[in-house]
Amino acid sequence: MNFNRYINVFAILAAGVMAAACSARGDRTGVEYAPQMYHSVPYEGLVQVTDYEAGRWLTSTDEGAAEFYTSNPNNPHSMNMREPVANTVRRGDYLPYRIPKDSIALAGRVLKNPLDSTESVVAEGKVLFSRYCQHCHGEQGLGDGLVGKVFKGVTPYNSRAVKDKPEGHIFHVITHGKGRMGSHASQVSVEDRWKIVRFVQTLQKQ
Amino acid sequence: MYVFYVAMLKRDIVGHKVLLKSLYPLLHLQPLKKGKLKLMFKNTSFNSIGGALNRVYALLLSFILIIVLTPAQVSAQDDGIPTDEAVIASGEKLFKANCTVCHAIHDKVVGPALKNVHQRRDVAWITAFVKNSQKVIKSGDPYAVKLYNEYNKTEMTSFDFENEEILSIISYIKQESSKNPAAAAPAAAESGDVAAVTTNQGPSPFVNVILIVLTVILVLILVVLAMIIGLLKKYISQKDGLSVEDQEIASQTTDFGALVKSNAFLGLVAFIFTAIVLKSVIDGLFTIGVQQGYQPTQPIAFSHQIHAGQYEIDCNYCHTGVRKSKNANIPSPNICMNCHSSIKTESPEIQKIYAAVENNEPIQWVRIHNLPDLAYFNHSQHVDVAEIECQTCHGPIEEMDVVYQYAPLTMGWCINCHRETDVNTKGNEYYDNLVELHAEKSKEPMKVEDIGGLECSKCHY
Repeated sequence: MNFNRYINVFAILAAGVMAAACSARGDRTGVEYAPQMYHSVPYEGLVQVTDYEAGRWLTSTDEGAAEFYTSNPNNPHSMNMREPVANTVRRGDYLPYRIPKDSIALAGRVLKNPLDSTESVVAEGKVLFSRYCQHCHGEQGLGDGLVGKVFKGVTPYNSRAVKDKPEGHIFHVITHGKGRMGSHASQVSVEDRWKIVRFVQTLQKQ
Repeated sequence: MYVFYVAMLKRDIVGHKVLLKSLYPLLHLQPLKKGKLKLMFKNTSFNSIGGALNRVYALLLSFILIIVLTPAQVSAQDDGIPTDEAVIASGEKLFKANCTVCHAIHDKVVGPALKNVHQRRDVAWITAFVKNSQKVIKSGDPYAVKLYNEYNKTEMTSFDFENEEILSIISYIKQESSKNPAAAAPAAAESGDVAAVTTNQGPSPFVNVILIVLTVILVLILVVLAMIIGLLKKYISQKDGLSVEDQEIASQTTDFGALVKSNAFLGLVAFIFTAIVLKSVIDGLFTIGVQQGYQPTQPIAFSHQIHAGQYEIDCNYCHTGVRKSKNANIPSPNICMNCHSSIKTESPEIQKIYAAVENNEPIQWVRIHNLPDLAYFNHSQHVDVAEIECQTCHGPIEEMDVVYQYAPLTMGWCINCHRETDVNTKGNEYYDNLVELHAEKSKEPMKVEDIGGLECSKCHY
């Protein structure tokens, strides 16, 4: 047996081991093919590489940031994401809700639901309710959702304390939270909140 | 006057705390006639044996005091609380419908435990507090203010009960107070047990142990059998007067050397070896650029199994962008705080969120699904319009303690789905004309590829 025959076998073995090491597992991302095409050149919201030297080995220049570096030093914490500029309003949406958190009675008196209580609005409200409210307030709004049971103290919609609360009150509570409930304004748009209000009103009456 | 120095209990077992706390209001009402008794438990260290002894003494003392003082209290008071069965029954109904969300008789829930509340406060005070707690607090009533501050300024909802209704609730509480909490405990513990059972779903470690033991036993049996054969052969070959056939068997030895050197054997081994190596090389090459199975350690040990699985929270609750934008989004801490303001507040993992909120610092989650920059993907298109389940691409996310990339996210995988999936045209008038045109040409339902789902520029531009 000569040496050359062995070398072939070893080459195949080594290739097998190396190829097996390409796959991703645990904390390892695995080998990337043409990494320059994988990493975003423009800022991308949910990606951030703060290491200035990341990917230097395939960067054509020695100056400036390396290939994989992506973060915006002008933002707080060099994040690529940014909150909308303060006091700006998004186009084509409802105007921002201005009644402050402590004026819940005022909200109950003055706010009117811009959406009619049609079947489709209530149905949409029900779907939204199941996404944003149900795990605490329960399917029937009895405060018996799976999370609600652990959270404790979720008021049933048909209890005497809240069953006659006006629509503005409900909207205000979703927007600002009340008691131990937090604000859901960042998750639910104004229009969706009004749809949920329509559905919650049907639960109040049960 | 009884002076209790309760500071020592600050960091101690809850049992103590509750016991002494329940004593506290009781003692306020107690007439001062037994002389001065000073129990000074300085802020001693509990790491010593002396500290432990102190603890035991404190426990004993609180027990004795409860036993001695409680009956005197009850007999001394004629509180005018009805004991009528019907009144108690109606009180029970009201209590369960309105109060149980925040109060329990024996346990502190959101509000204080209501056991013996009629001894701590008189009926008029309770009535005023239930009707409008804020009014009582604003009037400067010291007990109400203390209570309000103790419970993190949580406002109690105002209830417009009639006086008789409140009285009936108190009568129910009074009746329940005298009952043994142990009797009520199993019912409360039940829901906890169910949760514990559902979380423990993996195969029990015993199965592995049994398998290993079985393997060891089987190997041992093999060895013993081989030894027996050897012994028997030896025995037979030593015997005289064997027939030819028997002698053949006895002197039989397997010639491994010849077998190994035979061409057929070498050929077979070489073939199997090459096949295995080739397969692993090809498989390995196909994983280049594919991050399927990537399961990075995250800065906070968040479990989808608990949130999406056990508590069935909708994905959209936290991933707010999934129906509105390209990215599903990672929730900001304010969404965590909607629940974790009061759930599992002691957990070190949750404390990390508090720290992030306090320091106004972002939590640096590790991104798992890294679609290459050359491909465009939009969540809202797939989830809101096509109504595809999250699990189609993300796998059994509600069973994952630590999330991993389930799908390969390769182009072939995308294309395959676009070939097989019918377009969700129902109730979407955008598709009306397309469906009509498609129906003229084909009888098959309209697939994604029929409306340009395989066009290069749909995803690469």
